[in-house]
Amino acid sequence: MGMMPVERLHLKHVLQTVCALEAVVLRSFGPEGGQVLFIRDTTEAMLSCSGTRILTALRLEHPVARMVVECVWKHSTATGDGSKTFILLLASLLRMIHTAACKEPNVSCTYNSREAAETAAARRLADKLLAFALEELDDLITMGVIPYGHSHTSNHSLQRLLVSFFQTRLGYTHCDFISNLICELLTYWRCKNNPPSLSLQFINDNFPALHTPVSGFPVTCSRLVEGQVIHRDFSTPCSHTDCEPVKAVVFTGCLQLLERVIAILQSLGISVLLSAAKQSAAVLALARQANICVVECISEDELSLFIQLSGATPVSDCLMIEPEHVATLTFCRPILLGAHRYENIVTPCSLVICGPGEGQTDQYACAFQDAIRMVLTTLEPVGMTATTASKEILQLHKTTSSTPPPLQQCLLESGYVIPAGGTFEFLLHHAMLQHGCESSVCDNTNMDIPAVTQLLAKALLSIPQKIYSHSPRHFLETQTRIFKENKQSMHCCTKADLSQVLILDFGLESVSCKYQLLLAVLQCVTSLLRVDTVLCTHSASQTKSHRLPDIS
Amino acid sequence: MARRVKKAPSVCTDLPLDTADVCAKLHLLRQLLGSCFGPTGRLKQVHNNIGGHVVTTSTSSVLLPAISSSQPFVNMIKTSILNHVSRFSDCGLFAAVFCLALIERAKRSALRESVAVKVNRHLLGLCTRYLQREDCGCKVKLDFCSIHNLITLARSVISSKPACVLTESETLHLSKLAVQAFLLTVPCDNPGTVSLGKTVTVPVEGHSVLHSAVFPGLLLGITDVFCLSKVDNLNSAPLIMVLFSASLAGDLCELGDGTIEVHPGADTDSQILDQLLELGKQAVKDEVKLFVCQKVIHPVLQQYLKSHGVVVIERLGISLMDPLIELTGAQPVATLHTTIPAKAYGKVRGLSIRQFGSNTMLHLHPYAESAICTMILCHRNETMLSELKVVCQKTEHVLRLTLREPFALLGGGCTETHLAAYIRHESMNEVTEIASALGCSQTEYLIGVEGFCCSLESVVTALEHNNGNSLVDLTHAHHWTLSADVMKEQMEDSFAFCGCGLVQTSSSKKWTYINTKYTEFAPAPLSRDTILQPCVLDSFTAKLNAFQVAVETANLALDVRYIIQDVN
Repeated sequence: MGMMPVERLHLKHVLQTVCALEAVVLRSFGPEGGQVLFIRDTTEAMLSCSGTRILTALRLEHPVARMVVECVWKHSTATGDGSKTFILLLASLLRMIHTAACKEPNVSCTYNSREAAETAAARRLADKLLAFALEELDDLITMGVIPYGHSHTSNHSLQRLLVSFFQTRLGYTHCDFISNLICELLTYWRCKNNPPSLSLQFINDNFPALHTPVSGFPVTCSRLVEGQVIHRDFSTPCSHTDCEPVKAVVFTGCLQLLERVIAILQSLGISVLLSAAKQSAAVLALARQANICVVECISEDELSLFIQLSGATPVSDCLMIEPEHVATLTFCRPILLGAHRYENIVTPCSLVICGPGEGQTDQYACAFQDAIRMVLTTLEPVGMTATTASKEILQLHKTTSSTPPPLQQCLLESGYVIPAGGTFEFLLHHAMLQHGCESSVCDNTNMDIPAVTQLLAKALLSIPQKIYSHSPRHFLETQTRIFKENKQSMHCCTKADLSQVLILDFGLESVSCKYQLLLAVLQCVTSLLRVDTVLCTHSASQTKSHRLPDIS
Repeated sequence: MARRVKKAPSVCTDLPLDTADVCAKLHLLRQLLGSCFGPTGRLKQVHNNIGGHVVTTSTSSVLLPAISSSQPFVNMIKTSILNHVSRFSDCGLFAAVFCLALIERAKRSALRESVAVKVNRHLLGLCTRYLQREDCGCKVKLDFCSIHNLITLARSVISSKPACVLTESETLHLSKLAVQAFLLTVPCDNPGTVSLGKTVTVPVEGHSVLHSAVFPGLLLGITDVFCLSKVDNLNSAPLIMVLFSASLAGDLCELGDGTIEVHPGADTDSQILDQLLELGKQAVKDEVKLFVCQKVIHPVLQQYLKSHGVVVIERLGISLMDPLIELTGAQPVATLHTTIPAKAYGKVRGLSIRQFGSNTMLHLHPYAESAICTMILCHRNETMLSELKVVCQKTEHVLRLTLREPFALLGGGCTETHLAAYIRHESMNEVTEIASALGCSQTEYLIGVEGFCCSLESVVTALEHNNGNSLVDLTHAHHWTLSADVMKEQMEDSFAFCGCGLVQTSSSKKWTYINTKYTEFAPAPLSRDTILQPCVLDSFTAKLNAFQVAVETANLALDVRYIIQDVN
């Protein structure tokens, strides 16, 4: 134990680290935010304003910073959105906790130092915050925020949701174009009978197989192409015209007993052979003679997508080819995308993403997938169980008394969106303060509730503060207007339309994403503050001379 | 075993445009590039620290690659401009100076970056829409029935590169040659998709520029003249020629991969030589008169061919292969193992010898219509010649761009002053609507507009290097220069024409110095019946793109708030 260098971790250190991250992220946050220029180790330059990318590119050493980056990364892979807000909210919360912990009266007697006492107080506070959020947050949002949002069913609100997502993710220039493209893709894949989340989940799961990155073209060349693109060229020349329906089979293994197999294929009228493995030269030569196109070395993702879409089962035993193995395609032709030639066979449609350089194209592709994840998260209900939902509906019925959404709808179509630009934070801030007052009045058993809600409410307000950092006037104006609207709707029982209240139009954002973000940040705070010591272990490869100064 | 190396943390720069170091570097870059700009631009000598040879230049495509900076910001701008130059050949310095001026202005005006970016983008749209319009006041339609404007365009490109050190008559001579070469490379009788031919440039050192010339066909350098004693007889009928891309030196390594089994006692050298002579015999039998090889030909084979009256050229080099294939219609033979297929032979109408100083050249006249020509470029010394070669290639490219869009923009700074006046006038309309659409206040919008126009005008002032004054007239908004040493009485003479030569001075005209405030006005279109011809023209396509590149690069630079540099 004594061999290892030990670093006591205090609240102060955590705060410092997170604030450093905040300073970086802040540069590309909000309407005044810009891009970050990366110079890779290959001296290739790239621009980005994606929070996750900025944080990972820093290549941080401090374990706390790496832990934070890990949390952000996990959150943004799950929901696709909110990596920058994550850091800002985290920093703001830690600052509040720090101030609160420093004021704590019971210091120094039980703890060795003031710092240890502070850290302990902060830890308690963080636990309470998390407990409160897990217990009450969904109710608060349903009460205070959702009445002002609307469920996103129309294409128009989906479009606006995507535009504001891409604005924060890729900047202002191409956000309209890209969100149109995504909308088009989603409309293409939408099935009439299934809920939209099902087709979204499908696109998300098969995204690698459904898109083709092409470098060397401007983003505006990105488009949808009919059919599935298999990212391999034909191994034997493709001799088919587009008109006839094409029959294809999928092979998993290598072909044996060649002549017989080819004869069977010919008798079934099969002209395309898709294979995951590389086939021998003999197979190719025979297939060429029999006028059968072979595509080899197809990646597993693409092949499984093909099987899903065509409904055909792959062939395992070459001599047992039955009609259920045969997929009928409308067309099968080569497609030239940038410098590569691919095979293109029919399924609804796939996406071609263009970008000027490889890095940039990659970034666009990531943003596309994150947008789909974000829309998926939007459709998820805000942590509601059936009982709490019904409870809330009843309450809503009492308070707003206009036509409340029926229970069924609230559970299924919970894709609530709200005007972006701090509206969520303003409303939740307000709802929390009210809740704090109410709970302090009605029950005296738990004295902490008001303190906890106040702290969280205050921390939330830091987000709109950053959004309106260039003009504090706008911040105050928006806050006043939203509160006024809030009061009015309480009294007059009308559903408020906040989009007219806001001064600047920032588009829309998802309530569900925000909810998950808030929970993830609180979880991150708790786990950060639970750590008290950093042990630096050394791998065997490092020399003794390295270690010695650390101990002393 | 994979070695795990600890990654070093990245190097970060916060708000790069607010750091003095970056600003100073950008300012220096602007001064450096601005001082090269235009016909009177100052030259730069580029030499490396290990005693390589010195390049004297003022061309952006030579200068920019020589500038390397540790500052990624500078490199980003540099790369952007170089990309433009590689695609359009012209207006690189314009783009660089304009871009850097935009960045500097935006920083100085203390406008929020996001606002500056939006206003710039809006004004760029305004400008490009105006330049694309039929009635645009600073655009000239190029008429291919008359070569006058083409020569003016070529001369503007050539005269904007002072490192060539040309006199007035030399510039004109080269401009005419450039247009001649350009016209020769446009095929006449091909309907459908036209593919342009190629101009092969042959630099010849030590001669007067006026000896430069353009010839249809190809000129190949040859070493010995003796073999060509019969060349005179070779001018009558179409001559059959053959072209080898494989080496005919007789080396084993040229045969390709694989193992070679040699019988004991077999003489491989003589067997290969026999094979080569077989080829020679077939060539002679098929009445080949010109025998060309990209690489080396075995001396015995050469001797054999020459003795049969065949003209032999070896070591042609890869760069001349394509033009020669296009000129003769020959298919290069890549193997020695089979007989030469009949369709591989090409045809030449005739051969003649041309002498340029110490260089003896064999002139291959095209048999059929062909779009291949050769430009012999002469200049007094190597440095000037290498710059001249670059300039001629650029001129060719600029002339080719006119085929896509047959327009030219007025040169001499008149397009810039005209555009600035147009923007000032246009942006006065609907200030409220535009400002709210851009999400900024009216004041911010107007500051942005002024910054944009001033940057545009600062490009014009960069044209002047002799302490002269730049003025703008208040009717057409063209650019006028008043040289520093002019007396009051002489003003009339030196002030006769504007920068592009389309506007003449008159007593009713009023002028103001550039960078002084003037009441905005709508620049008047030029009267259509003027007999005046523009004397300076810029490439429309190249300048329009340079304009876009400059604004977009400036916007990109203004948008960067943080730099993360991976140093692993």
